[in-house]
Amino acid sequence: MRRGKRMLENLDQEIRNHIERETQDNIERGLPPEEARYAAIRKFGNVTRVQEETREVWTLVWLEQLVQDIRFGLRMLRKSPGFTTVAAGILALAIGANTAIFSAVYAILLRPLPYANPQQLVVVFGANLREGVKETGIPYLDFDELRAQNHVFSETAATAGHSLTLTGAGDPAEVKTEVVTPEYFSLLDVKPLLGRTFLSEDGRRGAAPVVMLSENLWRDRLGADPRILGESITLDKRPFTVVGVMPGTFRSPVFIEDPRDIWIPMAQDPLFGGLMTLRNRPGFGVLARLRPGTPSAQAQAEMDAIAARLAKEWPEEDSGWTIGVVPLQKEIAGNVKTALLVLLGSVGTVLLIACVNIANLFLTRATTRAREMGIRVALGAGRNRIVRQLLTESVVLGLVGGTLGVLLAYGGVRELSSLLPSGFPRVQDIRIDGWVLGFALLLSVGAGTVFGVAPGFFAAGPDVQASLKEGSSHSGEGGVQRRARNLLVVAEVALAMVLLVAAGLLIRSFATLTSVNPGFDADHLLKAEVSLPQFEYSTPQQWTAFSNELLTRIQAEPGMQNSAIAVPLPLADGTVNLGFEIEGNPVVRPGTSRTADYVAVSPGYFRVMQIPLLRGRLFSEQDAMPAPRVTLISEALARLYFPNQDPIGKRMTFGFPPKGKTWREIVGIVGDVRDVSLHQEPGPMMYVPYAQAPFWGAVVVARTTLSTSSAASTIRQDVRSIDKDLPVTDVESMIDALSASVAQPRFGMFLLSLFGALALILAAAGIFGVISYSVSSRTREVGIRVALGAARGEILQLILSESAKLVLLGLALGIGGAFALGRFLRSLLFEVRPTDPLTFAAVAILLALVTLAAAYVPARRAMRVDPMVALRHE
Amino acid sequence: MSTKEQKERIELLQGTLDLLILRTLLLGPTHGHAIAKAIEFRSEDVLQVEQGSLYPALHRLIKRRWITAEDGTSENNRRAKFYRLTARGRRQLTAETSKWNKLAGAIARILRPAE
Repeated sequence: MRRGKRMLENLDQEIRNHIERETQDNIERGLPPEEARYAAIRKFGNVTRVQEETREVWTLVWLEQLVQDIRFGLRMLRKSPGFTTVAAGILALAIGANTAIFSAVYAILLRPLPYANPQQLVVVFGANLREGVKETGIPYLDFDELRAQNHVFSETAATAGHSLTLTGAGDPAEVKTEVVTPEYFSLLDVKPLLGRTFLSEDGRRGAAPVVMLSENLWRDRLGADPRILGESITLDKRPFTVVGVMPGTFRSPVFIEDPRDIWIPMAQDPLFGGLMTLRNRPGFGVLARLRPGTPSAQAQAEMDAIAARLAKEWPEEDSGWTIGVVPLQKEIAGNVKTALLVLLGSVGTVLLIACVNIANLFLTRATTRAREMGIRVALGAGRNRIVRQLLTESVVLGLVGGTLGVLLAYGGVRELSSLLPSGFPRVQDIRIDGWVLGFALLLSVGAGTVFGVAPGFFAAGPDVQASLKEGSSHSGEGGVQRRARNLLVVAEVALAMVLLVAAGLLIRSFATLTSVNPGFDADHLLKAEVSLPQFEYSTPQQWTAFSNELLTRIQAEPGMQNSAIAVPLPLADGTVNLGFEIEGNPVVRPGTSRTADYVAVSPGYFRVMQIPLLRGRLFSEQDAMPAPRVTLISEALARLYFPNQDPIGKRMTFGFPPKGKTWREIVGIVGDVRDVSLHQEPGPMMYVPYAQAPFWGAVVVARTTLSTSSAASTIRQDVRSIDKDLPVTDVESMIDALSASVAQPRFGMFLLSLFGALALILAAAGIFGVISYSVSSRTREVGIRVALGAARGEILQLILSESAKLVLLGLALGIGGAFALGRFLRSLLFEVRPTDPLTFAAVAILLALVTLAAAYVPARRAMRVDPMVALRHE
Repeated sequence: MSTKEQKERIELLQGTLDLLILRTLLLGPTHGHAIAKAIEFRSEDVLQVEQGSLYPALHRLIKRRWITAEDGTSENNRRAKFYRLTARGRRQLTAETSKWNKLAGAIARILRPAE
């Protein structure tokens, strides 16, 4: 560039000399001096243009013009602050919302997992399509064989999650534990903050018990003391040596929702250690790392072969079971992918509506700026140059809106992260980073282009002569512009319709979901979990004694008489699904699996939960250990497995306890309960007396009028009076637990309703703007009509019918669109079809009312036009 | 310049003008006006350069380092910018000339009246 500057230095002088010489030549040829000079200049051509073109050789012209256009664009935006504020505000909202949602989509669906070579990581799962099991764990012994026999994985690890009791460091506490085979950390290739991860020796039976801590537990409970390495902590009353601390950012990638406090080798775990010699299901979650360059399909083929071999070798346990391989990232995103994409689509629609709105504003401005453009064209600006200038203006506006939007998005991301239901994957990864900012930039420029193109197209179009001649500041707009404007309104209404239908469907679905009867009465019900350290409380007799004692004490408290014990508690606790057999072995109907959810309860449970007894009798205190074993079955189990017969008096056996068959007599049938989730139909369930099938922990349920906190402290006191080292966790009202179980649909509904409301407001604003403009440009026409005797009502009707036509057209298109797109919502809906006529009708009426109300305001203004003023107006 | 005149003379393509400048400078360094004159003279006025368009072309050639510019004194003792062909420009001229000749030959063969 510096060379260019030097070269251009004496260009003016050179050109002058050139013309001088030519003039001299001409004089020598005999021309009079005046004419000689004129001829020389003519022959040289346009001096200014030559200078410009010569300079252009050395400069990046487009860059200079761009800077010029940006400056001009900014000046134009400053000159009309109202327009700029409205447009930038709308854009900021829309781009902010899009950026925030995209940050979640990016973090959860797109960003590579934070492990080395994440594309090699896969989840290995068990499935049995015959039994309708799509994805479950792998029994430990099968995992063992799979690990030894495969040639496709460089490493495999099994994992499971539960809680242990930490004592000796402050109050006794339940610590969330992940039980892993030692390869787990090296498979993920993660490094500890302190110390080391597990070695393969740590996984052997009989090895010294070791534990790894999370940074949070280490800081909160152990004072962040680095000397903790080599010390021991007490878990379930048993010492574990601390070998390492994992950084706070580490999260178990899959299978486990909440962050863990500690990790221990599977062989050391009181519960899962015992399952390592079994081929029982559901088994363990299995992670694997593919050997470099091994395609997932090859791994799948080998797993098919191994599963076939296992089924042959262990027909009783493994026949019908297959082993599947799925990329880890896909597994993690699986549950929430649809919801996220629907959200992204919706928020994108909001942006589209915003763009349409701003395009409309630009179009209005372009009409009033037709004169300016006319002058520019007359002065020699090319059509491309004008379009480029207008585009620059709108892109500048887009960038201003985008910048504000990104600022909003920072707040939005925080809000979003706190709004996300617990258990949402990778929430900690949601943040605004380069990729997200890039997306926001793309949106800003894209939006600027979209709403800049329409007016740019029309602005350069009008006939220069006409726009200059018309002269008035309110040059009337041509048919093309009016049609364009109307088209935009129609588009806006249609988009809003699609979005509102989606929101409406989710709202209706959520309402249906929360009004569904879970099978018990959740009002005034609360629950508290107590878990017993299994090293200390190791026998069923101890478990029974503890729970009897606890229940007696709790029931003695005022206001707490109505309490019971259950393991596990439906909806709040997860389920235990077990296979069973019926004596006499009636034929199983094809397509139904012979499994049922299993709950151990104290006799008062059904009364406390208000689950109705349909036939037979409930459990009593006499149904304890030496007495004959009994069971209650749910209505669904009776219907499915005892069609047309009386189940009472028949005997069943369950897969629990794992060893030996215990026949239990069916003594009654109770009502169905939705135990898995509110949106899942109640499946078959079987109940046993807690006293005949105790467990190392229990959930206390109480129907009480006491507040949750006072009931909680009562229960805590009672537990502590039995054993001061026992923690009580998760005291919450059943209503809250139910509400937490629908957190994900609520989240989707909330955001989609928010976007729907935004769309509604934007569409109303759009209609308002267009009709206002139309009214003001028709003031004269209206004045004439009134002067000629048109009734005020007729004027109102005229304007409103114009709006109604647009709205109806938009609604029709929107209904079509919502119909076509509804199938994407199907998996998110509960007992509501994507084409639900009620929702469609309600949304259409709402949208029509709101938009017509928006049109009514300017229409009334038209009605009030004073013909004298209007006629004088132009 | 009227429309009629334009039709009778041949407007120069950019590349052609570059070629002509290089060819002119092969005879020795000279200033802008002399280059314009030389082109007009050697083409017997058939090739009409709007003289001004010479300057952007000259700067394009400088930028490509096919010619250089230096200050000097002209025949009538006036200061002027002299343009000189560089070795690179000479090579370029050779290449372009042979290309041009081939093209011209080909066009001539195509346009030759049928015999």
